[in-house]
Amino acid sequence: MSAVLPLVRVAVIAVLGWLLLLAATSGLDPYTVSIIGFVGTNIILAVSLNITNGFVGLFSLGHPAFMTLGGYLTAILVMAPARKAVMLKSLPDVLVAQQWPFFPALLVGGLFAAAAATLVGFPVLRLRGHYLAVATLGLIFIVQSFAVNMSGLTRGALGLSGLPALTSVSWVYLFAVVTVYVSWRLKHSSLGRTMLAIRENELAAACLGIRVARTRVMSFALGAFFAGVAGGLWVHLVTLISPHSFTFLLAFQLVVMVVLGGTGSITGAVLVAVVLTVATEALRPAEEAAGLFGASQMTIAVVVVLVLIFRPAGLFGSAEPNLFAWLHRGARASLPTSNP
Amino acid sequence: MTSAYILSQIANGVILGSMYALVAIGFTMIYSIVRLINFAHGDIFTIGAFTTLACIALAKLPFPVAIVVVVAAGALTGMVIERIAFRPMRGAPQVTGFIASLAVAIFLENLAVMTMSAQPRTFLVPDYLNGLVDLGLMSVRMIDLMIVLLAIVLTIALVLFVRFTKVGVAMRATAENYDVARLMGININRMIMLAFAIGSGLAAVSGLMWGSKYGQISPFMGLLPGLKAFVAAVIGGVGSIPGAVLGGYLLGLSEVLFVALLPPEYSGYRNAFVFGALIIVLLVMPNGLLGRNTEARA
Amino acid sequence: MPNWKLGLAALAAGLMLATSGPASAADPIDIAALYNISSGGLASLDGPSLNGVNLKAKMINDAGGLLGGRMIKVTAIDTKDDTREAATAAQRAVAISGLTAGIGHSDTTFALASAPLFQSAGIPFVTSGATSPDLPAMVGSEMFLVPFGDDVQAHAMAEYAYNTLGLRNIVVWTDNAMDYTTGLSRYFIERFKALGGKVALEDIYMTTDQDFSALVGRLQAAPDVDGVFASSGPDTAGIIVKQIREAGIDLPIMAGDGFDTDLVTSVPGPKFATNIYFTTHAYVGLETGPAKEFRAAYEKEYGNPPENAFAALGYDAMGLVADAIKRAGSADPKAVTKALAATSGYADAVTGAIAYVNGSRVPSKPVAVMHVVDGVMSLDSTVTPQN
Repeated sequence: MSAVLPLVRVAVIAVLGWLLLLAATSGLDPYTVSIIGFVGTNIILAVSLNITNGFVGLFSLGHPAFMTLGGYLTAILVMAPARKAVMLKSLPDVLVAQQWPFFPALLVGGLFAAAAATLVGFPVLRLRGHYLAVATLGLIFIVQSFAVNMSGLTRGALGLSGLPALTSVSWVYLFAVVTVYVSWRLKHSSLGRTMLAIRENELAAACLGIRVARTRVMSFALGAFFAGVAGGLWVHLVTLISPHSFTFLLAFQLVVMVVLGGTGSITGAVLVAVVLTVATEALRPAEEAAGLFGASQMTIAVVVVLVLIFRPAGLFGSAEPNLFAWLHRGARASLPTSNP
Repeated sequence: MTSAYILSQIANGVILGSMYALVAIGFTMIYSIVRLINFAHGDIFTIGAFTTLACIALAKLPFPVAIVVVVAAGALTGMVIERIAFRPMRGAPQVTGFIASLAVAIFLENLAVMTMSAQPRTFLVPDYLNGLVDLGLMSVRMIDLMIVLLAIVLTIALVLFVRFTKVGVAMRATAENYDVARLMGININRMIMLAFAIGSGLAAVSGLMWGSKYGQISPFMGLLPGLKAFVAAVIGGVGSIPGAVLGGYLLGLSEVLFVALLPPEYSGYRNAFVFGALIIVLLVMPNGLLGRNTEARA
Repeated sequence: MPNWKLGLAALAAGLMLATSGPASAADPIDIAALYNISSGGLASLDGPSLNGVNLKAKMINDAGGLLGGRMIKVTAIDTKDDTREAATAAQRAVAISGLTAGIGHSDTTFALASAPLFQSAGIPFVTSGATSPDLPAMVGSEMFLVPFGDDVQAHAMAEYAYNTLGLRNIVVWTDNAMDYTTGLSRYFIERFKALGGKVALEDIYMTTDQDFSALVGRLQAAPDVDGVFASSGPDTAGIIVKQIREAGIDLPIMAGDGFDTDLVTSVPGPKFATNIYFTTHAYVGLETGPAKEFRAAYEKEYGNPPENAFAALGYDAMGLVADAIKRAGSADPKAVTKALAATSGYADAVTGAIAYVNGSRVPSKPVAVMHVVDGVMSLDSTVTPQN
């Protein structure tokens, strides 16, 4: 009973939040609503990357690759068969015939990304540190290469445009809430503590009987799942996908969100995701007016270096600020809310 | 698939390899001393190309002088980056430095876009470099010969420097064991600066070569070659200069031959091939071909 | 506590900034212009295009505006050589209240990114330079082309190659990363083979490639080849010419309007930029009144003669939209779309009269064949292919 109550509480808060959001966005023009959509997908991305990078300490730059995988599959499933027949000549008939509703298509896209992550994860995750970073970066290029060259399946470098704009603020909100919730419960669970243990000292964790490789792959796959879903959401917000939609630059931005917010802190990741996305979009007209293209990116880069110098643990370190402590009343006792 | 075709492709592979080798040497030198993958290295490559253009088009300097200026500009940029972005990061976990170098790379790229626009620009080479040289079995351009010769000369000079001069030995000592070197009285800051300076100078020259060969430069040109040069360094064994050179040529040759020998439909997979090779090498031969095991990698 | 308040404040500030975008008053007629201004090879086409659009708008405004004194307001949005930016730019554009029409893009892939958003908003999108004849079918009823279709220019080039240059055995290089180039090659090969010519080899590359040594090698190895058709956009145009010529290959290089950029002569240099033929929009050869007026006005406004045919295309796009507004008698997007679709002869066009016959939204216009000799581009002939 005491475990269900917080769940009910969370659900109620989530629904209230949703209604608030709907009310707030009802008067806005589509462009601003799409910005809110981007904020939401960035939250999903940052929080899911936090699971991989923050909890387990894997330095993965591979999120864009999983977004590409999830994005393409979702787009293919959602697209009308007539369009597919014209644009994607080598697509197996089974897929051409499908036209799925948005929600299941997103889930399947996410699962596809997670499956790919599991497959690739076992070999690649044997690497450590910045070698892993570069290997996962290589994944981005490898996925791009395949997307470009398997043009019968993906329309190659031309990409798929004119996709239905199915992503609404509600969908993004739903998945953002789910991602944050899953991430939260994971962190405060035994599996989450396992992950944090691996991050802190892998050898000691192994000595304690933790299945290190398996846990690492699992967190990688979980992060990839949400990345795939976020990819599907993003693609139907922008209405197009191309092999170069999700680049290394995006990987950098996501890592920045996780690092600035505090590697391991969910609240930190969410906050920085919101602030950075809003700041980039808000600065865009100013940047264009002044003709200083790239100024916002430069500023972010400088801020990152400064934060790394002066506050390397990020905004919150691995802690979650106490404002959410009241959510835990009623759940298991003695939860670690901060790490040394 | 005539022998002339294969020969000319091998020649192309050697030229591409020369460019990768120079950048890879820079990566490896910096890595061996500070254990840091310098993502901004690719942008120093870009800076080299643009500086050359400025020298030739604006300052109207003769080409050999331009080469010297470019090396100096690259070295200077490398030292500045080290001082501002990496020295404060010393002692921090690996990934922090990596992220910092990513940030520097993004900063430099956007700075270039802001000041010079992201437009591709024509690269000018003096006319005497444009002629064809007949080598019997095939003919190559003067510029291609220059690239390969320059790469060889610089590599030999560097190896001699590192092996036989006092400063070079000091650098190797720092790379081998940081703390003991410090105890021996070696000025670590200076060694690190030197590594950055030399590495960056070489990267800048490679940018000059790339611009000369392909005729067109843009602010983002350094990203992919920089990454590929990193792959080359890993293949050859990070921390080993001969390894970087070997890796560079191996990668250049295999990339060109991969595209040349397979049917045209597969030529688009060249990047996948390069990064796939990286992952395989990292898994199978974590120390690369000539590297020594100096840290836990896998 | 302060941190989430800060976040909320930032969010609110951001929202306010974002919604305080251009709020048009009732008077000006709003036109959005989407172009790659700041980056990519396409900027060498889009920059002049935007200049042309602005020039025509200025000329119309100076002459008193449209619909009894309403001034045209062109909002230019830079799409930064990124299709995602193009889609977002289109979203921003259609959010401008009272937007009458959108103009833009010199490339099909970018038009495909932006135009669908105009389509779903019911606002006409007139492309100044995207040339795929499939665009209206792929996008919908709001899509209008100012230039001729790729089928027209590719057929013209094929006929020129076979009949005038006497070529019989050609190698085709296609950029697989652009809709424009893949379509262009397809049409070229189809007409060249129909005439009796042979295609010795069809090679492919990507827009981002810089090293064409493998393709050059295969070209050299192919026997009895007498020409190369390089289906390329402006990013790779100069590099391709340079690398082919550097290898000592003097064969004629043919191309489409993607070669209508100064990069074709500046990157290879005058020695190598020779024996090149490409098709482009017929404006250079026309000595009609409007063409001369355009050239003079362009030079006066921007200080240099029009860089390439795309400047003229931008000029014509704006002119066409203005003409449609006049005929519709209103700036309402629906009325303008109807008027555009009914265009039976916009003769003030600098690149050739525009008419949308039989429900087609691609005009039939003359094609200019340009010849590059020793780094100098000049008009060779103007053709109208038989369809």
